Amino acid sequence: MSLPTILFWILAVISILSAIGVVVAKNPVHSVLLLIVTFFTITGFYILLNAQFLAVVHIIVYAGAIMVLFLFVIMLMNLNASGEPQKNNLVKFAGVVAGGLLLIVLVAALKKADTGMLIQGSTNIGLIQNLGKVLFKDFVLPFEVSSILFLSAMIGAIVIGKKD
Amino acid sequence: MNALISTAVFGIFLMISGLFIKSKQAIRILAISGVVAAFVLNIIDFRQYGASATELFHGMLSVTNFGLLFIEIILGCVLVYFLLSGKDLANIGHYTGEYFALIFFILCGVVLAATYGNMLMLFLSIEIMSIPQYILAGSDKHNLKSHEASLKYFLMGAFSTGFLLMGIALLYGATGSFDITTMNLAGRPIDAMALAGIILIAFALAFKVSAAPFHFWTPDVYDGAPTVVTSFISTIVKVGGFVAFIRLFHIAFGSPDVDKHWLLVLSIITAATLIIGNVTAVFQQSVKRMLAYSSISQAGFMLFAVIAMNVLSWQGILLYAAAYSLATIGCFAILMKMKDYTYDGYNGLAQKQPLLALMNTIFLFSLVGIPATAGFLAKYFVLSAAVEKGGLLWLVILAVCCAAISAFYYFRLIWAMYFKAGDCQVEEHAITPAFKSVLALTALLVIILGVWPGLILAWI
Amino acid sequence: MPSPSYPTLWPFLIYGILVLLLAGGMLFISHFLGERHQEKETDEVYEAGIEATGTARLLFPVHFYLIAMFFVIFDLEAVFIISWAIAIRDVGWGGYLAVVIFVAILVAVLIYEWRIGALNFGPQGKKILRAYRHKIKGVNHNEVVDKQNN
Repeated sequence: MSLPTILFWILAVISILSAIGVVVAKNPVHSVLLLIVTFFTITGFYILLNAQFLAVVHIIVYAGAIMVLFLFVIMLMNLNASGEPQKNNLVKFAGVVAGGLLLIVLVAALKKADTGMLIQGSTNIGLIQNLGKVLFKDFVLPFEVSSILFLSAMIGAIVIGKKD
Repeated sequence: MNALISTAVFGIFLMISGLFIKSKQAIRILAISGVVAAFVLNIIDFRQYGASATELFHGMLSVTNFGLLFIEIILGCVLVYFLLSGKDLANIGHYTGEYFALIFFILCGVVLAATYGNMLMLFLSIEIMSIPQYILAGSDKHNLKSHEASLKYFLMGAFSTGFLLMGIALLYGATGSFDITTMNLAGRPIDAMALAGIILIAFALAFKVSAAPFHFWTPDVYDGAPTVVTSFISTIVKVGGFVAFIRLFHIAFGSPDVDKHWLLVLSIITAATLIIGNVTAVFQQSVKRMLAYSSISQAGFMLFAVIAMNVLSWQGILLYAAAYSLATIGCFAILMKMKDYTYDGYNGLAQKQPLLALMNTIFLFSLVGIPATAGFLAKYFVLSAAVEKGGLLWLVILAVCCAAISAFYYFRLIWAMYFKAGDCQVEEHAITPAFKSVLALTALLVIILGVWPGLILAWI
Repeated sequence: MPSPSYPTLWPFLIYGILVLLLAGGMLFISHFLGERHQEKETDEVYEAGIEATGTARLLFPVHFYLIAMFFVIFDLEAVFIISWAIAIRDVGWGGYLAVVIFVAILVAVLIYEWRIGALNFGPQGKKILRAYRHKIKGVNHNEVVDKQNN
């Protein structure tokens, strides 16, 4: 096995285990910390795919900013372990069945996937410069429209969050 | 793309003007003039584009005269909405400029939904339509139900957006493209990955238009949100979601060897939407909640346009967008003037406010689909599109039965207004001559569209 | 599964291993070399500082959340602008125009937030000052009235 393959498997195991931990953990703060671990392993995948821009953004935006937001929410709501409502077993069972069915569909979809479209080996598309080139030439309209999206999110934060 | 630019610029402009202009009246007039400006600018645009798609911005937008006509209809409905309910929108809370700005951002999303040519733009348009809705649903900060509506809508909406993204990712894996025309799967071997992608996207979009197994958020959100906001999100945004739906499925997945895979799934969704929407609406006591369920059942009819896939269905969705939006906005505008939102609150309205009762009757007739109203022709177009498609006769028969059921709960309101004695409480001071005349014009428009659909359809 | 053609992966890997070794080594060595003692204050939160009162899980004012939200959004916008800055020569004036529009919208948001007072934190100095001035004026006025009465 080559080095990237070994790294891939190590990262895959850690990311799946920590992602399960996010769901299973009783303490919400532990969930958030495990989510940070998951984000870091996903960053590892991006680096393996030579997508440096995404890797850096993932660390800065997700593991940095969004996790701060999550922690704030937990602090705001004062979630104690005892405050969690007990879920009905039937609901849990239904959730497991539905999620399991989705998993089966996705596994079936990806198992026979035609990988001919995927580019094997190293590409430079994920480098920051190439991404900038694509973003500001072909994808310039989505770029501008996303600023409107941010704008509406910002207004929302003020309309809902600010004291009158 | 004048409509896109003008709605975005007016949104930002209104946001800033909210800081400097304290008069709610002035902001409302600014917003109305903004819609009028966008309307006129879009007409100017209309002459440049034909029936075949024009690619703009490296294929990010593919503009046709259908898309522009749809935008025109939407802008017209928003104009009616602002004229009828603008005052209520301005009075939800302190942030008048922001509420109007958010409406304009939603319009920006609807414009994108009618013209997108790329999956990335589809995603952005769905998001720009959704996020301001979450905010507007929760904008009544002193009402717990409004908070609940906002949170419920946000959580469910975020989840369905996740499905949309997963579907787009799978389709990208299968086709290697984000462009909806090159993504066309016709004549290619279809693997499970593409099918899973199509189904996930269908579910996400069905959620956004509140089709049946994904409709659970709808009554609570529509009931909890401020009524003036419900009026907007159950009409403009819903038909905006439908235009995104119909364009994606007709352009990208529309060829006969692809549609056999998803047609049955969407047919079942349509049937379930019709049955659940209509049957549950019968048991409602609150008119607001009844209108929420009625919007689910009307979504069932609009789904016919998605599954039929022919020229009639394109025409049908245009007519349906206009007929449904105008009638529902009118019904909600009258509902907002009532003090009691139950059926009994309407008792004796015909004696007190004969004009309001008459207009409400016309709107309800249109929602049922009585001939000579726009709703009848809209239903006729989408159903005959399904008949022309063939193989969907069972669904058409079901739809006709459901339309008959819907007559029950719509007529119950008319019964309350005309034949039940009672002392309904109306906010008299809010019913100005201007309000009455706009309402009458809207009702007139509903009838004109029902007699002469060429007013809209002659343009494509 | 990634294909095995990554010549540039090993420096990153060595860097990662060095970081882990350094952090782990510091903990490991200090465990053996460090002083150990057990006294009354050892397990306190601030061993040589103020005494902790209550738990760290206290309720935050919602304003913190607002600021965090702005941080996320501006952070994301900065990321976009960085990608432009790196590719500045390749994208030319078209890219410049695009980023100017983007930054203009950003500035509009900033003006909006500033004016509406979403960035103000804690007690508002101007309001207090105004109230204070008002009070002083009121006092002076009362004094004048008192003199007239006398």
